[in-house]
Amino acid sequence: MFIAMTVDMEKYITNFFNEINNHLKLVSPVEIAKGLKILEATYERDGRIYVIGNGGSLAIARHFVGDLNKTVFSHHLDEKIKRFQAVALPTTDSELTAWANDIGYDMVFAGPLKNYIQETDTLVAISTSGNSPNIIKAVKVAKEFGIPVIALTGFDGGELLPLADAKIFVSTEKGKYEIVESIHEIICHLITKYFQELISNRV
Amino acid sequence: MIIARAPLRISFVGGGTDLPDFYRRYPGRVISATIDKFIYVLVNYIPHTKKVIVKYRVTESVDHPWQLEHTRVKTALSNLGIERDIEIGSFADISAKAGLGSSSSFSVALLKGFNAFLGKNLNKQEVAEAACRLEIELLKEPIGKQDQYASAFGGFNIFQFNLDDSVEFKPVLLSYNKKKSLEAHSLLFFTGVIRDASSVLSEQKNNIQDKFDVLKQMADSVFEFEKYLLDGDFENAGKMLDEGWQRKKSLASKISNNIFDSLYMTGLENGAWGGKILGAGGGGCLFFMVPPQKREGVKEAVINLARKGNMIGFEELPFKFTECGVDIVYRDDR
Repeated sequence: MFIAMTVDMEKYITNFFNEINNHLKLVSPVEIAKGLKILEATYERDGRIYVIGNGGSLAIARHFVGDLNKTVFSHHLDEKIKRFQAVALPTTDSELTAWANDIGYDMVFAGPLKNYIQETDTLVAISTSGNSPNIIKAVKVAKEFGIPVIALTGFDGGELLPLADAKIFVSTEKGKYEIVESIHEIICHLITKYFQELISNRV
Repeated sequence: MIIARAPLRISFVGGGTDLPDFYRRYPGRVISATIDKFIYVLVNYIPHTKKVIVKYRVTESVDHPWQLEHTRVKTALSNLGIERDIEIGSFADISAKAGLGSSSSFSVALLKGFNAFLGKNLNKQEVAEAACRLEIELLKEPIGKQDQYASAFGGFNIFQFNLDDSVEFKPVLLSYNKKKSLEAHSLLFFTGVIRDASSVLSEQKNNIQDKFDVLKQMADSVFEFEKYLLDGDFENAGKMLDEGWQRKKSLASKISNNIFDSLYMTGLENGAWGGKILGAGGGGCLFFMVPPQKREGVKEAVINLARKGNMIGFEELPFKFTECGVDIVYRDDR
């Protein structure tokens, strides 16, 4: 009986791993590669990279900003070397609440984006449904300025997917947040690792 | 003040198939990559002067665009309806006419800058189209379209020139380590000899009918070259360049003269797998693909021969490949 319970839990865990694996296999490497090229070009011209998301995606966005700005360069922190300029938007809680309270929640990213945006920049938009109004508003600002958009989405890609230049898409049935968000995190780590090696190779 | 910049490019395979006499019969294709050498165009709003000022080798200051001697700036201004109150300057990381597509890079940066000046944000495709229109339709230059597209898009790309004049592109998604390795297998020389692409290209254009099959072979071999790059098989890529260069040599007598032939042969004798003269030929740059351990030997032999031949400006041109294409790198009115 003791053994049977272990096996039962094992099955649950293995099923989850398998589900992640099966969805991970379907993510287009070409679209991730396009995203890498866009970020590399942004680095070359010393542009900024804005990363936005809501809830779990916000946590991924913040984590990714830290990885781009620090982890990518962690073996070369004492050297004079151009670093990424990844920016979490909005940069302060006061701006977040000011835009949300005074104007509307759909402006919390688009509003602050306009303070910084230049034509050398790139927007990374993380939205599992691809339909968050505040994400779509910010993407439209990016399009107005003609800057590239890298989308990380799930479900059916939503409104976001067709707007993006690099369409990093975890196709799932609606509601599978845990699958989409886990895979988004993996992809952000892949990007981090890629640039960590690229930078070490350049130095 | 607006500063636009556009990169120069190295064209690997397929040059010449981007001319209408060819691609109206069979899809033209080229594979090329941009490098970290740029053309910069500065556009400044000067409402107090009522003038059009253009600064390049000389400075022109006139009341109307049609009085300008710089034909390309003149035509672009007239076409966009910009009449006055504008100052334009250009800077380059490398001398013009080096065979790296600089004249089209200039047009690309110029049109990106002018449109930004008018409040219009052109995407890469639109800038490339606008530059082609300026150079080929308005200025009647007998050139192809590959340079405008290569410079506007940036990075490693295959461009296909369709029969209906449309252009499709496919990025060649090389990882950083393949790119770095390709750089280690590449050797680029500026010959110090400058030439006008138009003169050679008009001849090439005249011969196109006879050379159709040769160009068709070049257009078809683009995907094979891409595969060699993606596999990191630079030996076979280099050998393909050699075949391509031999074929291209048969296209127009001016493409290669004796000294370039000798320089090229010297490169191969010292271990290079292949190479080509970049641009429309008759001068410009000489590009080799070499095993890294033979790089220094090839470099020394080729430079020695150039010195003996009194080619004063001949020198190695170190470079890195880049991903970025045309960009507005600065503007104070964002």
